[in-house]
Amino acid sequence: MTFLIVLVVVAVLIVFWVVSLYNGLVGLRNRFKNAFAQIDVQLKRRYDLIPNLVETAKGYMKFERETLEAVIAARNAASSAVGRAAANPADGQAVASAMAAEGALTGALGKMFALAEAYPDLKANQNMALLQEELTSTENKVAFSRQAYNDAVMTYNTARERFPAAMFAGAFGFQPATLFEITVPVEREAVKVSFT
Amino acid sequence: MDFFATQERAQRHTARLMALFALAVGGVVACVYLAVRLLIYKTEDGPTGPFWNPSVFMPVATITIAVIALSTLYKIWSLRSGSEAIANLLGARRVAPNTTEPAERRLLNVVEEMALAAGLPVPSVVVLDKEPGINAFAAGWAPGDSIIGVTRGCLDRLDRDELQGVIGHELSHILNADARLNLHLIGWLHGLMVIAFIGYWILRSMGRSSGSSKKGGGAAIPLFGLALIVIGGIGVFFGRLIKSGISRQREFLADASSVQFTRNPLGLADALKKIGGAKEGSKIASPNAEQASHLYFSNGLKASWLSALSTHPPLEERIRRLDPSFDGKLAASDPGPGFVAAVAGAGSIPGDQERLAAGVVGLGGHTIAARVGTVQATHVDYATQFLASLPAGLRERAREPATAPALLFALLLDHDPEVRIVQVKALEGAGPFLFDETQKAASILATCPDAARLPLLDLALPALRQMSRPQWDAFRGTTHALIVADSRISLFELVLQRALVRHLGPVFGGTRAKGAPTAQLSDRTTEVGLVLSAVGHACGSDEPAAEAASFDAALRLLGGEAGAISFSGRDDCPPEVIDRALRSLGDLVPQGKKRLLEAATACAVADRKVTVAEAELLRAIADSLDCPVPPFLPGQEV
Repeated sequence: MTFLIVLVVVAVLIVFWVVSLYNGLVGLRNRFKNAFAQIDVQLKRRYDLIPNLVETAKGYMKFERETLEAVIAARNAASSAVGRAAANPADGQAVASAMAAEGALTGALGKMFALAEAYPDLKANQNMALLQEELTSTENKVAFSRQAYNDAVMTYNTARERFPAAMFAGAFGFQPATLFEITVPVEREAVKVSFT
Repeated sequence: MDFFATQERAQRHTARLMALFALAVGGVVACVYLAVRLLIYKTEDGPTGPFWNPSVFMPVATITIAVIALSTLYKIWSLRSGSEAIANLLGARRVAPNTTEPAERRLLNVVEEMALAAGLPVPSVVVLDKEPGINAFAAGWAPGDSIIGVTRGCLDRLDRDELQGVIGHELSHILNADARLNLHLIGWLHGLMVIAFIGYWILRSMGRSSGSSKKGGGAAIPLFGLALIVIGGIGVFFGRLIKSGISRQREFLADASSVQFTRNPLGLADALKKIGGAKEGSKIASPNAEQASHLYFSNGLKASWLSALSTHPPLEERIRRLDPSFDGKLAASDPGPGFVAAVAGAGSIPGDQERLAAGVVGLGGHTIAARVGTVQATHVDYATQFLASLPAGLRERAREPATAPALLFALLLDHDPEVRIVQVKALEGAGPFLFDETQKAASILATCPDAARLPLLDLALPALRQMSRPQWDAFRGTTHALIVADSRISLFELVLQRALVRHLGPVFGGTRAKGAPTAQLSDRTTEVGLVLSAVGHACGSDEPAAEAASFDAALRLLGGEAGAISFSGRDDCPPEVIDRALRSLGDLVPQGKKRLLEAATACAVADRKVTVAEAELLRAIADSLDCPVPPFLPGQEV
């Protein structure tokens, strides 16, 4: 009888313990999902700024149609990729493709700004300066929220891989989360200036 | 409604609830013993043994009580992160403080306005995206760590006035400590539910192994499991009766307070009518809805066949109390999204003046206690006007998680150039982005009156909650460096520190306020003297006579304990000392808090005007006591 009692109590304790580990992981997962929403807000703002930027630049950079179109294409691709990732930040694949698209967009923008250096009129345009400032500020905010997201992901991944949780995290569907790191694919590609 | 009276009543409710719960536990123990005695024990001892057998009863009672207590404690423990735990339970999504989606933006604006008017820190807001019904809830252990959730249907279908009514209702749950009581209820019900769960578990594991093992009397164990399910079911039934009884009572109170906040009974009544008319009504589809059913704005579950089990009073009755002319006709089913309609007819008509007036509740009594935790129309207007009058960019900065820390840094910048040099050094450690943003925020703040500092701090709280742990640590480090730059603590720095610890500490794993408060005012006369003296010093006049006169005004209100309280000179109560005194005043009983706050207010208004310093100090006192205080209006007659 006593043995049975001890057995029941131990079993109940173990159940509670597993449940609390599980709930802890759920909390951490929600935290990083929520942090992704922050990046999403900032990135959306960035995507809203870019068409205006390109529209302003168009008037001056008549001969760089290709570059401008590339920026718009990269923007659209990034916008839809990030949209997919925001729908479910726990999907590592979606986050990874969002990161790649973001990197491509950053690269395209960098190229555009490098080319813009050759157009003094464009640089003098006040609207352009304002938009650029706004874009820089938004990118800083992206960086800030990216840091918050990556911190949250790291906490979650650590909790997930620690010993007792590691045994069942996979079975309960806690997939490892992906850090959001933007790498620009083509670092400092030589700028080609065409004289046509 | 007196905030302190409702707080005490909430505590009494809790005590009564615990008594009822103990009764339910006793009943469950008796039933489990009955089941054990009739089903299991007889197989060993034969039916001839005495029915009452203490050597069987003791272990049965111990195990049952232990299981209930453990699971109750566990559930409450797992809800210790209050707001976040509930959000997880229901699968809610947090609304980004800087969202640009129009419906979400409007919701956040309404919450900000109402919270500022109530003197509450702005709560976090979550949305239940997958719920088309119209419903809302509030939860949290303390006003500083609370959460308001609304369903998608609420967001899309209600217009601004209706939304304001609903949010007012939820805020009053937070103010009246209902949110806290509700969390306890969830835990206790869980404890009773576990008995049924164990029975189910026994039945299943027996069912699985019964094919292989054939023992004599094998039917007893499954029968016992079945009995446990029934007993647990009955326990849960009574638990729900308790829960529903308490919940129904508080809904009327919250409805009344909501009208008091918005002075627009029609807004809330229309929201209720829309719920009645909508196809989905107020149903919550989440599988965990039952656990949190008493949190909601309106019935979240299917209508119960037994009215005693329903967590909310009938819609018709609630509407009739708000709108006596109600003819029983609910709003036609879903006349398009309310949000779109509201945008089309922006600035909706406030409705019949006479009926509006019926909702206005005047300032009860002349004391502050009546003001604490109540919101008047003037406060809502003040909050709306204040938000509109902020210089461009400040509100956005306060909402943006990336820039909110910089705004607080800017608030802490000193006017003295020498101190600034030290502070700028500290800021450089925060990184170039925050450094830049702080500079920009500081230049906007220069055009802003000092009175805006406190509300700005409140506005920034939701955004600050979004920081990650390392960001929070860095933020705390920089604020600390900025505060100690001049090697003394100013009043505002004290207020800011208290507010951060109070409202953000729990989010980032700080310590929670400990158990029930026990200290009487007479146990803390030294601290009370220091705090009241500090309020006296803040009155803005340089004459010691005026300060002493303010102090005497406070003493007159304190009566009995006044003899032991003495006035301290300005040099004897620097902010550090006040800070320590405030900390030790945190464990006063509610009535003690009430009298202290009354005395402090009497002291502040003795010269019939409230200075910025007085308002900030009152806020620090209220924060330390965990009481919300509505803003003091500029030029207000007191």
